[in-house]
Amino acid sequence: MEVRFKLNGKEEEVTTEPYLRLIDLLRDYFNLTGTKEGCGVGECGACTVLINGRAVNSCLVLAGQIEGSEILTIEGLANGEILDPLQKNFLLHGAIQCGFCTPGMVLSASALLDKNPDPTEEEIKDAIAGNLCRCTGYKQIINAVKETAKEINSASKPF
Amino acid sequence: MIPSLEILIPKSLNEALSILAEQNNGSKIIAGGTDVVPGLQQGSNRFANSDLLIDINRIPEIKSITRTREKISIGGAETFSNILQNQIVQEELPLLWKACSTIGSVQIRNRATIAGNFVNNAPCADTVPALLVYNATVEIESLNSKKEISIGEFLTGPYKTKLNKDEIVTRINVSIPSKEYEGEFYKLGRRRAVAVSRITLAVLTKTQNHMIDEIRIASGAVTPIGIRFFDLEKFAKGKKIEDQFLKELSKMLGEQIIQVTGLRWSSEYKLPVVQQMFYQLLKGIERGSL
Repeated sequence: MEVRFKLNGKEEEVTTEPYLRLIDLLRDYFNLTGTKEGCGVGECGACTVLINGRAVNSCLVLAGQIEGSEILTIEGLANGEILDPLQKNFLLHGAIQCGFCTPGMVLSASALLDKNPDPTEEEIKDAIAGNLCRCTGYKQIINAVKETAKEINSASKPF
Repeated sequence: MIPSLEILIPKSLNEALSILAEQNNGSKIIAGGTDVVPGLQQGSNRFANSDLLIDINRIPEIKSITRTREKISIGGAETFSNILQNQIVQEELPLLWKACSTIGSVQIRNRATIAGNFVNNAPCADTVPALLVYNATVEIESLNSKKEISIGEFLTGPYKTKLNKDEIVTRINVSIPSKEYEGEFYKLGRRRAVAVSRITLAVLTKTQNHMIDEIRIASGAVTPIGIRFFDLEKFAKGKKIEDQFLKELSKMLGEQIIQVTGLRWSSEYKLPVVQQMFYQLLKGIERGSL
């Protein structure tokens, strides 16, 4: 079937089997391999992408369901060579070790900050509760998100 | 690997019901897909003969949350995230709100829908105990019929409901409880997020002068399906709220659960946990209401 949607800001039209999972469409057709497959059943969050600004597990969405949606993958977050503040802070705070969970983790955090630029620690934990990380112990990730929120807020309130 | 199937995306309820009316046994409804997609992917025999998915996510009639003076009506295909963002649900139906908040993760709640939670009637469906104590009703439509039945009547047995192949659960309706009612919902899972419930309990009470005027008790996951404990509710009616009685009631609940479920390998662990949880819920309500 023909599916039209916006992917990382660009209009796309593809002919695909409707029952292909979104993660497979992204990785195999568009070569966007930043989206990872961990568990394949919606428990680990490694495949998280944003659909219309909301974090979803791309292993639980079928290509036939995305007509007219706006999809953001980790490849669409940076502004060319300039990293998104979240990406920069993940690096600075050592919130990345093996990196497998990172794309999903960053996108979950990004969806949170878009909606709630000044989250509490509990709100950060809730936002990333669906993203498993087996390396960092989460502390560094939470710090990176907090630091990003601080930067956003000081940038929007210069005085 | 997902077997080859077609997907239709009806834009109105009538269109969806027409498709369902024409279809053979190979059609399945998909809403959030958080259960259907992994089921397909893992080759679950629930989808053995499926060749058509009917995506009901874009049907406005089954997506909104509305409130009249005495009733809140939630569209069957409304996502948990939208329900959680709804202030009316949070204020008037706090047990349901809390049950929704314990489901899955942000990613799951952004897709999964309320009717999708209980149309399979899995024992662990988290919304069921809350819907049971609120005496919720479900509206069911096919092309030629429309009916509204209580959630208890809808859920007939483990993985069985009154829903026919050509029907959709269009809305979930709850009468707004008066301010005198207080309650609590509790879920125990192996981890805080994305956990299949081991035990869920919901309790809603109306008290007067330290007496139980009315109490509604429901469990999930520890019973084959979510159920109300009408005998216990009747027994507790009119009793004085005293620590000794709350302990007795908690013990009786445990005994009733064993009666319904039978002894399991896990009973030795779950029984005291259920009793203690229920006692703590009752104590919490007692503290709030006295």
